[in-house]
Amino acid sequence: MVEPAYTVTSDSETTGEEKSSTFPEIAIGIDIGTSQCSVAVWNGSQVELLKNTRNQKIMKSYVTFKDNIPSGGVSSQLSHEDEMLSGATIFNMKRLIGRVDTDPVVHACKNLPFLVQTLDIGVRPFIAALVNNMWRSTTPEEVLAIFLVELRAMAEAQLKRRIRNVVLTVPVSFSRFQLTRIERACAMAGLHVLRLMPEPTAVALLYGQQQQQTSHENMGSGTEKIALIFSMGAGYCDVAVTATAGGVSQIKALAGSTIGGEDLLQNMMHHLLPNSENLFKNHGVKEIKQMGLLRVATQDAIRQLSSQTIVQVDVDLGDGLKICKAVNREEFEEVNRKVFEKCESLIIQCLQDAKVEVEEVNDVIIVGGCSYIPRVKNLVTNVCKGKELYKGMNPLEAAVCGAAVEGAIASGVNDPFGNLDLLTIQATPLAIGIRADGNKFVPVIPRDTTMPARKELVFTTTHDNQTEALILVYEGEGEKAEENHLLGYFKIMGIPAAPKGVPEINVCMDIDAANVLRVLAGVVMPGSRQPAIPVMEVRMPTVDDGHGWCAEALNRTYGATLDLVTLQKKA
Amino acid sequence: MDALTLSSSVNISKPFHFLTLSKKQQRERHPRTQFGVSCRGRKELGGGVEDNLYKVLSLSPKSATTDDIKKAYRSMALRYHPDVCQDCSKKEESTRMFVQLNAAYQTLSNPRLRAEYDCELGLRSEKIGVGDETWRYIWQNQLAELKRRSHIRMAQNQGSWGSRIRPQNIN
Repeated sequence: MVEPAYTVTSDSETTGEEKSSTFPEIAIGIDIGTSQCSVAVWNGSQVELLKNTRNQKIMKSYVTFKDNIPSGGVSSQLSHEDEMLSGATIFNMKRLIGRVDTDPVVHACKNLPFLVQTLDIGVRPFIAALVNNMWRSTTPEEVLAIFLVELRAMAEAQLKRRIRNVVLTVPVSFSRFQLTRIERACAMAGLHVLRLMPEPTAVALLYGQQQQQTSHENMGSGTEKIALIFSMGAGYCDVAVTATAGGVSQIKALAGSTIGGEDLLQNMMHHLLPNSENLFKNHGVKEIKQMGLLRVATQDAIRQLSSQTIVQVDVDLGDGLKICKAVNREEFEEVNRKVFEKCESLIIQCLQDAKVEVEEVNDVIIVGGCSYIPRVKNLVTNVCKGKELYKGMNPLEAAVCGAAVEGAIASGVNDPFGNLDLLTIQATPLAIGIRADGNKFVPVIPRDTTMPARKELVFTTTHDNQTEALILVYEGEGEKAEENHLLGYFKIMGIPAAPKGVPEINVCMDIDAANVLRVLAGVVMPGSRQPAIPVMEVRMPTVDDGHGWCAEALNRTYGATLDLVTLQKKA
Repeated sequence: MDALTLSSSVNISKPFHFLTLSKKQQRERHPRTQFGVSCRGRKELGGGVEDNLYKVLSLSPKSATTDDIKKAYRSMALRYHPDVCQDCSKKEESTRMFVQLNAAYQTLSNPRLRAEYDCELGLRSEKIGVGDETWRYIWQNQLAELKRRSHIRMAQNQGSWGSRIRPQNIN
């Protein structure tokens, strides 16, 4: 196989609309899950899932570096499942992308066969694959780019045209920094990201289309329907509450967390072999093999527990280490009680944020690989007071189908039968604001704000004759600034000297339909109509790496000398 | 002709019926209808969101129900959301109008905010109960804000106006 050619493009590659195009190129939808991926496209009358050369619609998300030439799960076929766990294969890339080495999710990945090393100081983790007895380093972005190149080649071969524009699904809990890493991997693969869609939002769009078609057939008047969408895959758990009528889906609330099937698996592995973390710490060849065997056996057990209540686990790890144990479903559920409780609290939080009562929900939709787990179905059903689950969606295909529909809409496709007379009004999953009022996080755009959005807040100086202000932009839900993700920073200079509290510093945040965030800041003196200095406009995020260190350095250098406080303006 | 018909929509008692017709016309004669929509958009922009939120949603202030507001929001969203905007050059204007539409919907879909807004418009002045409740709410908010500012001032060691004046008087 030829080495896949991917290019390192400039960081100025941007999400959004193409400047000009001679003909409409329909964007494809891609759903790269933590463990599985799929590609779909609008074929003129409906969504079609693309298949690889082995006629598979759903493919494994991994890249193997054996034989020195990397190849992904799209075209490559591993001879057996153990080979994926030999250390030469990188998977869980979606879980690792855009994270620093103090992240618990990164630490959980250290139990995987490939090498993940952390120094616990807030930098990128070191990731390597075992190639010909050597650890060869790589990055999650590179692994994802290699994988995307293969996806693109597959799509181009099948559709017989050049593929450039894509709509990708992303977890709700992804920060803007992680989104930029996804975009960067796409750029390396020669793909232009039209939209990054939270997974339940993509499902909501598909649901809206189905309601629209039902409405057409029944000549309905388009009654409003409230849907609860629960999505749980190998790496992430997402919830959304949407209101749909007449083809318009409003995202009323979103909630997301970094828990998924991988956590269930790791908890079970630890349950079967309590000392496994110490045993596998050295990452020697023997330990890697043992780790892989345990992982395969545990995966099989969990899968079987979806259809039977008890399963026998028999695995010989070598060196006299054997596991021979009967595991029942209650045991599995007890070992993972905290994971399931977290899922339940996400649903409750999302309903509260949407200001929707459980009784108002018309349809309950469960998607994602974990939707086959009985306990997951039960907990969603229980929260929703026993309401029957929505049928009419394939749990593994719903998100990618929604992404393909969005790709068609965003590409300007017009369907004569009205199947694309759809609109998803998206909402921000996380709050965005600045550091002010001491060390507080002051949201300018709150969570679940409808997008596109433009909101402003007025601040003022904290010191007499303060002529500069440091704007630190954060994203998240924590009350203190450093509990959130630092997106970027800039300094306002030339504030007219005046007693503290007099200058009015207007901070405006603008998110466009392509989810591009711009922060604008201007200074107005009371009684004056003209801005005191030119308005600054900064596109975020600007912090590319080591945001933990960056925030620390800024605080150490400037302290509170350039701080602002909120000014409540009464019109 | 289209411009006249569209501009007169403000006075039509059943705006949704008109919107339906407009949608059909939009399919039949795409270029002209689009021009008409643009004209109307400009007129609304001229009015500004602060003047009347009901006009942004093409609603009558007195007779609009909650369902009317929801339906109007969806119809307007299908027209102005940048995702459904066909003409790239109008995407920025489309986004700006959608943001205004959201602001109007946020206010009018919340019963308390709508009642407050109606009072500002001078509507429903005959409903003393609603007005009374609203103004009590506003007054309490203002009082809380004054207290908050007072605490901030005290925390900054400025004290009250009186405490600042007294030393000057001594001098």
